[in-house]
Amino acid sequence: MSDNLARVLTTETLRPEFDERRADERRADERRHIEIVSPSTHTRPRVVYALSAVACVGAVIVAQLLLSVGISQGAYEISALRASQVELGRTADSVSEDLIRVSSPQNLAANAEALGMVSNSTPAYLRLSDGAVLGAPTSASGTQAGAADLVPNSLLTGVPLVTQLPAGGQGTSVASGAPAAGTATAAVRVADGLPSPTTR
Amino acid sequence: MSSKRRIAATVVVLVAIIGVFVVRLVDIQVVRADTLSADSLGNRSVERTVYGSRGEILDANGVVLAGTVMRYDVALSPKNASPFTRTVDGVETSIPLAQSVAEIAAVVGLPTEKVQALISESLADNPKSDYALVARQVGVDAFRALSALDIPWLTFQQNPGRVYPNGAVAGNLVGFVSSAGEAQAGLEVGQDSCLASSNGSETYERGADGVRLPESTVTTEPPVDGSDVITTIDSDLQFFVQQVLAEQAQKTGAAWGNVVVQEVKTGKLVAVADYPSVDPNDVSATTNPDDRGSRAFTASYEPGSTFKALTAASVLDAGVATPESEVVAPFRYLPANGANINDSSAHGDLRLTLTGVLIESSNTGTSQFGERLTDQQRYDYMTKFGVGTETESGFPGEDPGILHPADKWDNQTEYATMFGQGLTTTALQVSSIYQTIANGGVRMPVQLVSGCRAANGTLTDVPAAEGTQVVSAEAARDTADILEMVYQKAWLADTWEIPGYRAAAKTGTAQMPDGNGGYSKGYLVSVSGFAPADDPQYVVSVSLADPVNMNSSAASAPVFQEVMSQVLKKYRAVPSGAAAPDLPDTW
Repeated sequence: MSDNLARVLTTETLRPEFDERRADERRADERRHIEIVSPSTHTRPRVVYALSAVACVGAVIVAQLLLSVGISQGAYEISALRASQVELGRTADSVSEDLIRVSSPQNLAANAEALGMVSNSTPAYLRLSDGAVLGAPTSASGTQAGAADLVPNSLLTGVPLVTQLPAGGQGTSVASGAPAAGTATAAVRVADGLPSPTTR
Repeated sequence: MSSKRRIAATVVVLVAIIGVFVVRLVDIQVVRADTLSADSLGNRSVERTVYGSRGEILDANGVVLAGTVMRYDVALSPKNASPFTRTVDGVETSIPLAQSVAEIAAVVGLPTEKVQALISESLADNPKSDYALVARQVGVDAFRALSALDIPWLTFQQNPGRVYPNGAVAGNLVGFVSSAGEAQAGLEVGQDSCLASSNGSETYERGADGVRLPESTVTTEPPVDGSDVITTIDSDLQFFVQQVLAEQAQKTGAAWGNVVVQEVKTGKLVAVADYPSVDPNDVSATTNPDDRGSRAFTASYEPGSTFKALTAASVLDAGVATPESEVVAPFRYLPANGANINDSSAHGDLRLTLTGVLIESSNTGTSQFGERLTDQQRYDYMTKFGVGTETESGFPGEDPGILHPADKWDNQTEYATMFGQGLTTTALQVSSIYQTIANGGVRMPVQLVSGCRAANGTLTDVPAAEGTQVVSAEAARDTADILEMVYQKAWLADTWEIPGYRAAAKTGTAQMPDGNGGYSKGYLVSVSGFAPADDPQYVVSVSLADPVNMNSSAASAPVFQEVMSQVLKKYRAVPSGAAAPDLPDTW
């Protein structure tokens, strides 16, 4: 038993010695081939790694900081934009409310009347194919549907008529869009005349 | 050995410290976790109402009749009402209480004393009073002006308001809502299930400076906007009709009146005008609550002679008469059953055809045609024409009118129902009778609302558009011809003439109940008709109640003429130029 063990041990212990010896010889040969390996090349990479690791950590911290600053900056920006969106939404609502109000029939009728327009209650049609007059044409009497205040609209209180606006008034008031219609007084001309049938 | 002891001591201390940490950790993370996180959230999180907007009511062309706008309720805290500092041009200035009160009063349009009194009265009531409403539902401009004042004890609460851009145009139909936003009348009530919205809420977290933290918004409940109601009304025509009606009603001193314009082929109501009419923006300006609704839907009255068209259509459809059928119409007619019928003015015996009976609007003549049908037959025709039941319009509180079963009619009622007394109809029902006659005997369901349009454009609640044949096409045609003869030859022919067009019309002058079971001296004068007679497109039905200055249908005829002219012009109904029928009225 002990014999066996001793034998095994000797072989086991001898072989590494033998291998080591041969390996040392091999290393000695290599040293002879590649001459100087300065210790600095061994140590410098470690410093670089350490520095770069530290730099990385630093960069991450800085990036995180910047990101966080950015996000909070964004939060303020979003908040400001949201506020201005709300404000603009209010303006849009209020302006479109004004627009709808001034396009109410009461306002249009009152303005048309103020500009001297009258409605003609007897329609007549000219059939272009044969020139036939359909209906009984008569001139407008202007007596139709009297004053425009018979159908009240309390929203129009204080809205001036086009004729009551100061000349050239382009203010920011509710009815500021109206003068454009009022100034278009030039007679409408039809270039080639209306298409009409030949009358004999 | 000493090192061993030192190690042991260190371990013990470490374990003790870790133990303390663990206990603390469990306490914070497990035991008090909910309370603590709720506390921290409470410091940061804000819950906010997100308003859903009530749907709009639109006319047939998309014109807004009722819309929702954001308004602001302005309140102040009386106990905190005191001078404060405001930065004016970079200088901190102290603003005395009197000045801020004056500034608030100027913006909301109240006398300064009133705002001052509001503060002092609230404080007298309760020295710790923290809330007093200054103004309800102010607009954006006023809200901005008030915010700019920077008064720390002035607060604002969003409160969506309802706006009716066209004022009283269709005001009686659209109805209105209370200041709390609850539907009160008209389509606002009738279509509330379509229009109603529900408010949602969202929670977000904010930093110490009030700025919302990114990505922290949690919508706990999304708001639901209401759907839009699309009516069949044409707001421009509605305006015109209301205008004409109001003018004539004021001229003739009528207590009230209404005009219905209905499309013949579809049964759609293009205009339903009432006088007086309510401006939904200013409901309190209309003092009589009855004037705040639409009598065209909710008031029934005895229609009078316009109803004779129904009797004529019935006898023609049953084949017991033709337009040329002859009767002798005396001033007074005493049927076998004991009734006593007379015409409105004394005359000798007239040899009239059915056409002539309608032209003269003879009650005695109509009675002699009506009695050719049994009571039950006439009752059945009436119900088929829609008398006695609400129309399909869906208007809230619509009056079905009174039509007693035929076996409940007494001797006089048996005859009176032939010429529109002894039963009641709404203006809508009369219009529907003429629509049926004009449309070849096919009665179309009366339509006021063409649907409920959701945000994604889908239209629901579209009303049925299937007509019912009430009388044969021939009977309807013959009745239309008779009514065209009435239009040409009746005593108002010059008043209601529309140059170039053929029309059909019939007047009515019905006694009005005095509220005590008898008749008052007032009359309900009406004209119903349609045009163009050769291809009917529109029914116009006019009623004026008790026009004291002109107590006959001559009061309503000009309204018919103006409205029908406008309708024909607006919808480009071109006159055909074909000759009008010429039926004999006497023999």
